Amino acid sequence: MKFFRLIWKNVFRKKTRMVLTTGSIVLVLVLIVVLVSLLNAMEADPSGGRGANRLVVQHATGLASFLPLSQRQRIEQIPGVVAVSPEIWFGGVYKDDRPENFFGQLSADPQIFFDKIFDDAMIDPAANAEWKATRNGFVAGQNLVTKFGWKKGDHVQLRGTYIPVTLDLIYIGKYRAGDESNIFFHNEYLNQSKWFGANRVTGIYYMKVASTQDLPRVAAAIDRMFENSDAPTKTMTEKQFQAQFMEMMGNIKGLIRWISLVILFAVTLIVANTVAMSARERVTEISVMRVLGFRRSHVLSFILSESVLMSLLGGLVGVVLAKFVIIPGMVKGMQTTPMAPFLINFRVTWQVLLAAFGISVGVGVLAGFVPAIRSSQLRIVDGLRQVV
Amino acid sequence: MSSAGEKEMSDIIVLDHVEKIYHRDALEIPVLKDIALRVPQGEFLALMGPSGSGKTTLLNLIAGIDQPTRGRILVGGVDISTISQTRLAKWRSQTIGFIFQLYNLIPVLTAFENVELPLLLTRLSRAERRRHVETALSIVALSDRMDHYPRQLSGGQEQRVAIARAIVSDPAILVADEPTGDLDAKSAEEILILLKRLNEEFAKTIVVVTHDPKAASRAHRMIHLDKGVLESDELTETGHLRRV
Repeated sequence: MKFFRLIWKNVFRKKTRMVLTTGSIVLVLVLIVVLVSLLNAMEADPSGGRGANRLVVQHATGLASFLPLSQRQRIEQIPGVVAVSPEIWFGGVYKDDRPENFFGQLSADPQIFFDKIFDDAMIDPAANAEWKATRNGFVAGQNLVTKFGWKKGDHVQLRGTYIPVTLDLIYIGKYRAGDESNIFFHNEYLNQSKWFGANRVTGIYYMKVASTQDLPRVAAAIDRMFENSDAPTKTMTEKQFQAQFMEMMGNIKGLIRWISLVILFAVTLIVANTVAMSARERVTEISVMRVLGFRRSHVLSFILSESVLMSLLGGLVGVVLAKFVIIPGMVKGMQTTPMAPFLINFRVTWQVLLAAFGISVGVGVLAGFVPAIRSSQLRIVDGLRQVV
Repeated sequence: MSSAGEKEMSDIIVLDHVEKIYHRDALEIPVLKDIALRVPQGEFLALMGPSGSGKTTLLNLIAGIDQPTRGRILVGGVDISTISQTRLAKWRSQTIGFIFQLYNLIPVLTAFENVELPLLLTRLSRAERRRHVETALSIVALSDRMDHYPRQLSGGQEQRVAIARAIVSDPAILVADEPTGDLDAKSAEEILILLKRLNEEFAKTIVVVTHDPKAASRAHRMIHLDKGVLESDELTETGHLRRV
């Protein structure tokens, strides 16, 4: 500890260089913390565990194929199934094609949706009852309501894309949940429009089972039940259902890992250059310290400590920025984007903090290693002769 | 007359057939040739000679900064020509105080912190270190400048801080490589007076490399080197008076 002051003062010896180098570490750490936290969020359960006993049934060939509505009754009869709601992703255009007007539009069975399946969402019972009674009514997540400023009774028109109908919906009320980027409207209202699949098919079945222990059995039973039918199913947990959207984007995780490694390598070179420059400029000083009785091991540990300290400072600022500024800002900005379901888990965890700490120390050690060795190996007389 | 053994006991520095050869690629450059020298405890010795004569190399060997190619160097009874670098570093911190021509203070540290540096290697407590540093700075009359950084001091003051750093751990020997070489006449005079005081009041053995005959005249004894050979070894007037 008695050497800390010396190390600290040497780190801040050239302030501009220190700020620029630390700035590069800050940027890299922000980037890594944000990317890793985002990846973690996308892999985590969007319901925060509350949807752990929900299942999603889709066509075995993928989401582009419909399932017959006749399957609903048979699924409901499987022991352990609490409720089943057919759902269709409408994918209509609100106002215009601009991305900021895009949001999730799903049909559901209002009689059971908030009562038995999506029961971790919070909705005013009066609004829920009114929605059930209003065939062309819809409920929306709080974030969407805030974004578009909808008021009760407002008409919202959605122009269909792959379902060629236009829906004229009336806003009833809002719900609060981890994902507030969707609206829900009646299956009946969609079917009333006589589109090609009306009263015949659905996109998925969103359902709940009595307990998490039942999940594998019920999922297997559903898939077995329809495996030789015209519409074989693929049943998965809500978390697995969300994860498949990640898989559609390819090996994002691998890509992010590679990008992170490359930028880490780049920043290690930057820090190494700074430490090497600093050590080179102080050759005489280091030799003077050796004359005073400091050993080679002292010099080695001083240079290494300076490198680690600089890297740690950058890491600390980077993590604080990512945790308290960047990620909250991103969460706010992405509330009504397709990323919304994942935002509830978009935060810096302790594991990420520890990893960031480890990365900072690692960069410092790697960057400082060679300059530290070279400085400690320098002969005193050579160092004293050096003109800097 | 004292025997050789007794003489060795009273001589704090003994160089016995010392040679130093530097190697530059395949080239051998002999810098010191067969140097034999004895410095009694409490002596003030001036090393003189033209550039390249080997003065600084001889000083570095005495201070344990470099090791001889051949021969033996005993300082305070310790053969420093053969001991390991780690032991040599510890020995230096306890035995030698080094004063450089260009002061060589650490620019990011205050005068206090610069003087404290050698004490960081000891087991002294913070309070004890403070006491030692304050004493050293008061000896060089810079108690009022302890919070100043080197850039805030004049050349003479910087050299006095460097002297305080050299004496703070109370070494038996002070070695100085042209300590007045970068100073104006007034500051140089102050430094010479200070060195003289350290020699007389605090019984420090002092070895000074200098080009300046005026500085050398303050010493008890003057040694002239030329091309790595000890050409002359004579007492100064001060030395004669001291002997008398």
